[in-house]
Amino acid sequence: MIELHIDGIKLSVESGTTVMEAARQLDIQVPSMCHNGDLPHFASCMICMVKDAKNGKMFTSCTVKATPGMEIITLDEEIREARKTALDLLLSDHVGDCDAPCQISCPAHMDIPRMNHLLAQSRFEDAYNVVIQDIALPSILGRICPAPCEGACRRNSVDEAVSICFLKMYAGDFIHQQKAKPMGNFAFSDGVPASAAMTTLRGSRVAVIGSGPHGLSAAWYLQSFGYQCTIFDRNPLPGGALRYSVPRNLLPEEVLDLEIERIKQSGVIFQMNAEIDPERVKELEKEFDAVVYPLEKPLKMAIKASAFGKEAAWETRQKLSGQPIIGEPKMFNSRFGKLQESEALEYLKESVPGDRIEPANGFTHGMTAEEVVAEAARCLHCECRKADDCLLRIYSNEYQADQKRFQGPERKPVTKQFQHDTVVYEPQKCIKCGICVRITAKHQEEFGLTFIGRGFDVVIGVPFSESIREGLTHTAGEAADACPTGALARKGGRK
Amino acid sequence: MKIKEEIATILLETGTEREAVIPILQAIQKKYNYLPEEALREVCKKTTITPEQIMGVASFYSQFRLKPVGKHMIRVCVGTACHVKGASLIFDALHRELKLTGDEETDASGLFTLEKVSCLGCCTLAPVVQIDGVTYGHVAPDKAGKILTDFLGQKGKKAKSKIRNTEGEKIEGEIRIGLGSCCVASGSESIREAVEETVSNNGLQINLKSVGCVGMCHQVPLMEIVPANGVPVLYTHVDPKDVKSLIEKHFNPPTLLKRLSVRAQTLIENIQDDSRWEGVERYTSDVRERHITSFLGRQVPLATEFRGIINPLDINEYKSREGFTALQKCLTGMSPDEVTREVLDSGVRGRGGAGFPTGKKWEMVASQKAQVKYVICNGDEGDPGAFMDRMLLESYPYRVIEGMLIAAYAVGATKGYFYIRAEYPLAVKRMTAALQFCRDEGIIGPNILGSGWSFEVNLYEGAGAFVCGEETALIASIEGKRGFPTQRPPYPAVEGLWDAPTLVNNTETFALISWIIRHGASAFHSLGTAKSKGTKVFALAGKINRGGLIEVPMGITIRKIVEDIGGGIANGKKFKAIQIGGPSGGCLPESLADTPIDYESMAELGAMMGSGGLVVLDETDCMVDMARYFLSFTQKESCGKCTFCRIGTRRMLDILDRLCTGKGKAADLDELEKLAGWTKKGSLCGLGQTAPNPILTTLHYFREEYEAHVTGHCPTGKCMDLITYTINDKCIGCTLCAQKCPVDAIEFRPHEQHDIIQEKCIKCDTCRLVCPTDAVIKR
Repeated sequence: MIELHIDGIKLSVESGTTVMEAARQLDIQVPSMCHNGDLPHFASCMICMVKDAKNGKMFTSCTVKATPGMEIITLDEEIREARKTALDLLLSDHVGDCDAPCQISCPAHMDIPRMNHLLAQSRFEDAYNVVIQDIALPSILGRICPAPCEGACRRNSVDEAVSICFLKMYAGDFIHQQKAKPMGNFAFSDGVPASAAMTTLRGSRVAVIGSGPHGLSAAWYLQSFGYQCTIFDRNPLPGGALRYSVPRNLLPEEVLDLEIERIKQSGVIFQMNAEIDPERVKELEKEFDAVVYPLEKPLKMAIKASAFGKEAAWETRQKLSGQPIIGEPKMFNSRFGKLQESEALEYLKESVPGDRIEPANGFTHGMTAEEVVAEAARCLHCECRKADDCLLRIYSNEYQADQKRFQGPERKPVTKQFQHDTVVYEPQKCIKCGICVRITAKHQEEFGLTFIGRGFDVVIGVPFSESIREGLTHTAGEAADACPTGALARKGGRK
Repeated sequence: MKIKEEIATILLETGTEREAVIPILQAIQKKYNYLPEEALREVCKKTTITPEQIMGVASFYSQFRLKPVGKHMIRVCVGTACHVKGASLIFDALHRELKLTGDEETDASGLFTLEKVSCLGCCTLAPVVQIDGVTYGHVAPDKAGKILTDFLGQKGKKAKSKIRNTEGEKIEGEIRIGLGSCCVASGSESIREAVEETVSNNGLQINLKSVGCVGMCHQVPLMEIVPANGVPVLYTHVDPKDVKSLIEKHFNPPTLLKRLSVRAQTLIENIQDDSRWEGVERYTSDVRERHITSFLGRQVPLATEFRGIINPLDINEYKSREGFTALQKCLTGMSPDEVTREVLDSGVRGRGGAGFPTGKKWEMVASQKAQVKYVICNGDEGDPGAFMDRMLLESYPYRVIEGMLIAAYAVGATKGYFYIRAEYPLAVKRMTAALQFCRDEGIIGPNILGSGWSFEVNLYEGAGAFVCGEETALIASIEGKRGFPTQRPPYPAVEGLWDAPTLVNNTETFALISWIIRHGASAFHSLGTAKSKGTKVFALAGKINRGGLIEVPMGITIRKIVEDIGGGIANGKKFKAIQIGGPSGGCLPESLADTPIDYESMAELGAMMGSGGLVVLDETDCMVDMARYFLSFTQKESCGKCTFCRIGTRRMLDILDRLCTGKGKAADLDELEKLAGWTKKGSLCGLGQTAPNPILTTLHYFREEYEAHVTGHCPTGKCMDLITYTINDKCIGCTLCAQKCPVDAIEFRPHEQHDIIQEKCIKCDTCRLVCPTDAVIKR
């Protein structure tokens, strides 16, 4: 047995144990990407670096074995900085989007590709649940939103953007046409399950001032978090600018009413004709555990107001539960900008050809189910298949990595290899950790994967002119699951 | 069908084991000039080598080509010495001449393929271009077209005369011709042919002898004429067409001499010779008694003992000069521990760069209890601007072999390997022959020199990867893998080649061993400084008058090397800095030139002894450009495993590129420094850990030059994007520049002042070089 200290804690481990394994025995998780279970170690990514307290030198904890008397520091400012720099460097050579550009440009950060994926499979209620997680008023916004998402849609590089706004409108309208009128069933981005039809409330009460898109949205999410909300508005009917400024031909009254009715159903109390002056606000602050104030300046874009409402709900929840107030948690996003011509064709491989579909029945009625399914299939799925479990993203988020810090003069062009039945390979996302190479070698693939070239230009590829199909005859699933990034991933959408 | 048969033949030679992959690929490439996929697939079918291994290896080493190439290979050397003398301009000129676009390497006719090589080891002839076997030295950009024409004109010409046998006849004297790579590259082969022809035609009784490198590479080609009775004369910069008259001056019958004397004398005035150097006593004496020039005067030849005297491959001559007596002494009179002790006491440290005490390393290997142990001679000298190992292997193969045998005896090794870089074909050829002669003489093999001790040695040819100079990567390479370094510990001394204890020593280290054993530890210990003992061989090149290979005692100052040995800076320019240690080392300013050179002093100043490349820089050399040059080298040579080295070196190069093209920002300097620091700390092997040194030293000693680049100004005018060419009123209208300009950026206007059209100018420097009145101004 070998005795050593890790972060000041004494422990003894079997001879041959690596420092990383030793730290795990103390439940200290040292980050690591290139190391994988029983495969031989490789020491490539360098983010598992820890420090020898005696001489201040850093080393990779996945390869160095514990020796008697070692004193290890697993995290301090210098180590944090080193890991961040390693991540900054990896990101500077990681060409891929975590979230799709449409989602990033959506003020409410709605998971558009996932919605499209479900709509294309005619799973309309599931699609609604995705929408409602970020946009409280899909039917309304589907009619009046200027759709910044469509401006960012990568399909523009091929022909025309996917008709995202009509798709979202359909998802919202679909629910209103159902007899049972499900309220929505979704999870928040921090994993907390929520239900718009709350049965148990947390006890705290929140006053929301104003019943425009901001107030409605804030109330919807707070109610979903489990706080009893009361909306105060001076007008006789709820909706604010949606009811009193937006032209009726754009937004029919019945759509507005149906959407507000759903919010009422979730338990939100509406107090109309309520005059709100500074005095009354003070009273509300006393009467309620929290107050959501209206926006200082009205916003032109209802989607923005709605997004701010969601943000206010998050902040209120954090305030009420004593957490740091940061608003809706945002994940790190790798981005690479505009598509080059060759790349647009790579993306199209994952989609279907065909022009943008306009609703045959006219804009006010929106699309038919058939049109929706066909249009949703046009999505290029620019989002990463591993957006939720990519280690590079998770650590970049944790260490607040900066992708632009070491931006090179030119980026590598994106390619996607689809020859395989079950996995897709996107070499430009690869961090060259070689886990897949070791897996294919271990299972004696005839061709397998190998390192080709060296230095900055090294790529992982199949030997000779064989395709990924021949390279991964029986190890595809294992290799895809072990890949720490989205370079090698299983086909189909995210989990 | 044909490929199958040919592969079968190759495999008979190389074997079919996994570790034979590099020799197999070398054989395939030799056959087809590249690696056809069909051939590689066939190898996988017939051996235990997998596609993963063969592709990984074939694409890792720069020697291998996966695409067919042109009929002739043009290699532009971009080593340090060539770089400072404008190699990139030469490359660009050839690129234009061959009408290549972008990354294209082979011209449309398929006649030539153009590539850069990191160092051909002919640093004193810089800039150097090699086309197939022909080497062109001192190439100027406007000569690019000429060398292609010259090469095509030379093809097929080959002298047939061979020297006639002089056995049993009266010998009138000896003619020695240098056969080091520099000499060969500068045309010593044609000198040899001219000598042979003259000797044959005149019926002279003369020994023609090939000798290894004398170290005076700045004077090549060299020819020494040693009459049986008379003073030997060393001729330098010899031209083949003068050979006849030179020989006739010394040996011809009087009548003939009379006939030619007038002509000969005028010729000789044009040739430098060393007849004014007195005291040349090399014909009969065994050892050079007195040093004859300042070039040789400060030097102490231990590793290079008997330089210029012994024929590299003449084993009897080596023996007659105490060769193998050290080995004999060890085998008959010393126990392995005593040998190790002697080496430890001498204080000799590894000459590869890091300076680990050699005796300690030997002890570590010796103390391992194992059936099988290996000894490896590291001759993978990849630093651009260094050619020590090459010269030692080419000129003193037996001395290096003797050193290895002594080491093997001391540590109890059972097998040895010479790992020699592919770019050194002459060294490989000589060493292969030397090993065979040793086997024939019973010096290698079973029962060496009748001692009962047996040892076998193999030669392994590297395939072009700088990182393989790192011992764990070198071992991976011998095992037939990509040259990925691995975590140390375990050190190779404990777990090395095929997991057996392995001693890896540098070529120069081995070359010193026999001297230490013969003269004793204390003799070696008495040379050098407190912590660095003995001598060090340096490859001296760059902007000096006399470059070449030098061996000096540790502790000599930089200034003595530059001024006394190198003869000062060439062309009356000012001494600015030295670059020591190649890509792992650093640039030290002239103000530190009085520093005595040893391991510690160099490390303290941020540089590194390295393997011994020493490039002298003058006032026209840009330090930011130097840093960029070395980073472009290391980033190309990075194996690609560790994040900091693979991407970090590229990002540092990106920043340097920005600075050199006027796109840099002040914040770039801090980021550069930070990233350099992390790359040092966060890399697994020596390559990454030392790659930032050229940046850190130049940033430290020449920060103002970096700051000038941030403002868009290159103080030395080296950075192409930051300079413009103009013509001033000194112009006499000779039109030479307009004729030579490759892009018609100068209008042809006889007798008028010329003008450069800036939009067209590609800054190739040709106009400035050809201008007879220095009217072209670069600023």
